[in-house]
Amino acid sequence: MIEVRNVVKKFDGVKALDGLNITVENGSIYGMVGTNGAGKTTIIKNIMGILRPDSGTIRVGGEPVYEMEEVKGKIGYVSDDLYFFPGYTLKEMGSYYGGIYPRWNSERFLDMTKNFALDMKKKLSSFSKGMQKQAAFILAMSTMPEYLVLDEPIDGLDPIVRLKVWKYIINDVAERRMTVLVSSHNLREMEGYCDHIGIISKGRMVIERDLEDLKSDVHKVQVAFREPQENAYEDLNVLHYEQRGSVDLIIVRDKKEKVEEVIGRYKPAVFDMLPLSLEEIFIYELGGVSDEIDGII
Amino acid sequence: MFELDLKSRTPISGQIVDNIKELIVSGVLHAEEKLPSVRELAAQLTVNPNTVQKAYSALEQQGYIYISQGRGTFVADIKNITATPAEITDAEIGLRDSISKLYYIGMSRGDAEELLRKLMDERSDWK
Repeated sequence: MIEVRNVVKKFDGVKALDGLNITVENGSIYGMVGTNGAGKTTIIKNIMGILRPDSGTIRVGGEPVYEMEEVKGKIGYVSDDLYFFPGYTLKEMGSYYGGIYPRWNSERFLDMTKNFALDMKKKLSSFSKGMQKQAAFILAMSTMPEYLVLDEPIDGLDPIVRLKVWKYIINDVAERRMTVLVSSHNLREMEGYCDHIGIISKGRMVIERDLEDLKSDVHKVQVAFREPQENAYEDLNVLHYEQRGSVDLIIVRDKKEKVEEVIGRYKPAVFDMLPLSLEEIFIYELGGVSDEIDGII
Repeated sequence: MFELDLKSRTPISGQIVDNIKELIVSGVLHAEEKLPSVRELAAQLTVNPNTVQKAYSALEQQGYIYISQGRGTFVADIKNITATPAEITDAEIGLRDSISKLYYIGMSRGDAEELLRKLMDERSDWK
């Protein structure tokens, strides 16, 4: 489990993290999303023990991480700003990792390098940005991590490589119950692979929930009545209302059954109900902070 | 076994449930047949294993499959399954939509009844 409790981190007096809480259950794939500057990379660096929180606690598998080598050995990490030793090849980086990480799996390292078609004898500095990202992913996965922390790992990779990356992640979650924390701006993709979502804004957690529960609670409904109805939606929790000609478009946060029952009372001529996409949930749930939402999407 | 529509608005676990139910109800999967494990199906479909787990739990709860500790997941005997009120409501909504369509394209009531009977007769196993 990754537990972030009430973490505050300031840079030059400005709060980058402002009492942030995150809970990632074991075996979960947790998607962290938010605008640029929301604090995603900062919290990841705190979780990795690279930065130290000003206050609050961070525990990974029940242990604090800062300056704790044993815990760090269980965490695989792909950072947004990749770093390799100058002049090193992937093979050399692999032997360096092998010396540090207790569960280094050289067989997997070779397999994955072959599968991603990278030349392990070439200098990493000659790799393209996307290839460097793949190299970092291979290194992280070859440590057989209990926890995998990925800072925008898929952004900038082509679709074939992205699918490969996800296949490896899913395999390890299924086989060894690896716990994954991933940040990304690609909401479509996060929606397909994550089971939990945390939305961060201004260094705080806005919504943290099981993705399918979140989605099953908010609906996009199109309704038209033969006769105009007054206060037809009174008993519903309406987040957004819009009239499009004679059809009403409403966004409702209620259980499906309840929406069907309330609207069914008025015998609508048109009644379509759709679950919302993750992108739409952001737009309507955070309607008040719409500037932020433009940034997320 | 089946394909998912990752762009669909229907939650992935719901799609897995629907697909497996369809395979069972249509007789493609038989009672006592072994289903892939959660890991296998997650890898096959490239979806989160927790999502597959959720789908399997829902199917078990509804009586379509059963899980035998240490042996695996199997198709249940569905002869005695009764539909949940939510399933009936769902079917009713779909049916109402289709009937509206027939009405709006101007089909006569008699022809519509004829069509419905014909479609029901296509399920020769429906007594």
